[in-house]
Amino acid sequence: MTDWKKYLLAFAITAAIFGTAFYIAAKLDAVRVADIRATQDAISIDLLSSETQFELLGNTDCETLSEHPVLTDELNSLAEQLSYAESKLGSDNNDVISLKKQYSLLEIKDYLLMQQVSQKCGTKPISVLYFYSNSGDCPDCGRAGDVLTYLRENYPDLRVYSFDYNLDLSALQTLIALRKVDDNLPAFVINNGAPVYGFKNVDDMQALIPGLDTLATSTAATSTKEK
Amino acid sequence: MDIGALGVYVCLFLALYFEVFLLISFFEKKPHKKTSARPARYPTVTIAVPAFNEEHTILATLESLTALEYPENKLEIMVVDDGSTDGTRKIAEQFAASHPQVSYYYKENGGKYTALNFAIERSQAELIGCLDADSFASPDALVEVVKAFEHNPDAMALMPIMKVHHPKSILELMQSVEYTFGVFYRKMIDNVGALHVLPGPFSFYRRAVFSKIGLFRHAHNTEDMEIAFRMHKHGLKIINAHTAYVYTTVPKSVRKLLVQRVRWSQGFLQNSIDYAYMYFNPRFGNFGMLTLPFGLLAFFLGVYTAVYSLYTVSSSIITTASDFWATGVPLTMPSFRIQWFYMDTSMLSFIILISLGFMLVSIMLGQRMAQNRITIKALISYFALFGLIAPLWLLRASWGTIRAREATWR
Repeated sequence: MTDWKKYLLAFAITAAIFGTAFYIAAKLDAVRVADIRATQDAISIDLLSSETQFELLGNTDCETLSEHPVLTDELNSLAEQLSYAESKLGSDNNDVISLKKQYSLLEIKDYLLMQQVSQKCGTKPISVLYFYSNSGDCPDCGRAGDVLTYLRENYPDLRVYSFDYNLDLSALQTLIALRKVDDNLPAFVINNGAPVYGFKNVDDMQALIPGLDTLATSTAATSTKEK
Repeated sequence: MDIGALGVYVCLFLALYFEVFLLISFFEKKPHKKTSARPARYPTVTIAVPAFNEEHTILATLESLTALEYPENKLEIMVVDDGSTDGTRKIAEQFAASHPQVSYYYKENGGKYTALNFAIERSQAELIGCLDADSFASPDALVEVVKAFEHNPDAMALMPIMKVHHPKSILELMQSVEYTFGVFYRKMIDNVGALHVLPGPFSFYRRAVFSKIGLFRHAHNTEDMEIAFRMHKHGLKIINAHTAYVYTTVPKSVRKLLVQRVRWSQGFLQNSIDYAYMYFNPRFGNFGMLTLPFGLLAFFLGVYTAVYSLYTVSSSIITTASDFWATGVPLTMPSFRIQWFYMDTSMLSFIILISLGFMLVSIMLGQRMAQNRITIKALISYFALFGLIAPLWLLRASWGTIRAREATWR
């Protein structure tokens, strides 16, 4: 005899297990997003603090400013978390988009602060603005990100700011307009120069970034995605 | 989610469903423990030993049979030599000469089922069993078989618990865990009356089975499966005697294992085609509704998962290699971060973990039923190797079935 009740019970238990797994995974993803948001809030406060400190000190104390550099390490760590979250939740996830907007704003503020410090204190940081797209119209963006990640790991003082070209964020679109970056991605703005388009491998990119060889190198390399 | 990943979720849902079904069966009807009680009556028994070139194992097989705790005058052992060309004949003849219970017959090679039919036609016993010449029965196995028939008067055939004989190599250890899972699986399938095979090592039939449905038939070199299908067709009950232990030698090389498993798997597919009308047919109970559809489904899900995994892994390797070539970024070992943030907490990971957990519980329950001892090394061998090797025989068997070719014995 066929025991239909047992078949249904097994189905109900299996469905419940799937439902529970889905619920737990979603909860943990939410905690992960909250973690990123908390990190962003902390960076935002630190950045505001640095800006305020800069305003207070003016150009009178560049030594103090150089002891409290803008938040490259924190931003890099945040970028890793965000990249991981994006790979797991998808680039069209609303939380991810919101976090990317906040992250991009922090990057722009950090970039502007760095410019100001550079002007007032006469430092010469090396920066790369990297524009990519996740919309499927940039097959080389992943590889371009790998190259920049590798360079940043080897030259910790290289400042890489990565932006999703299609992100609906007015500050970012203003930056894109100011730097006259076309949608021919990937695109790089090196040390505020003219945009450079197309994929560049490690050697090409090293050749494109003047003064890279003057930066301190690091031998400890970890694999992170620059997006 | 892409279609490929969706397919993996479907596979996992069905695999988990089946595991849950087995566990419900266990809690619904836990297998009783072995007792020292003796049978109320000792029926006459014939054990057929079909042999083809088994000179290395036949002596131990026959010794295990003459050591059975069963009245000598009730037990007849028939060695049917299916045209061996090695030393099997000499060994078996000598053994028969010194043991009056044992008779030896030599016939032209015609396949294992012809050797079994040869013995059945000459037997007058109430119970007729079979023991492959590479397997060994435990001394109380026959008593346990008889007790199982006594407790289940409506049972027409039964199969024992099979254990691997002295597993040593990693491949044998892997199979020992697989057989231990099989102990649990078979008992649970027995609970719902849906066993699909009566394997060569120590399966027994009431004499009436053969008068009702006929003898063994040529059936894709899996005649022990075909007769089980045929019994279900005629409503004859098959049970599992989980207190009767038999030890079997298993293939020691991957090639031999593949040959054996391709034969089993292809036999299942080809018998499924022959008995296709039983699928999803409630008239055949859980055999038609559970064993057959899930057996076939497991087959295709195994093939699908293997092909998808192969595709994913090879795509990843190709992408990594082409990225390396294009970017000039040196390859590094993937980093494993211990922060919880980077831990894989996806739904898929949870489901895989739960499925593996259920599998482990099933193996442990099988171990308890079989009074086995599964080592950590054996468990590691199983979980590391089975998923890699099984798809090979599934794919080969699928190909063989598509080409309508019969799988070979050796």
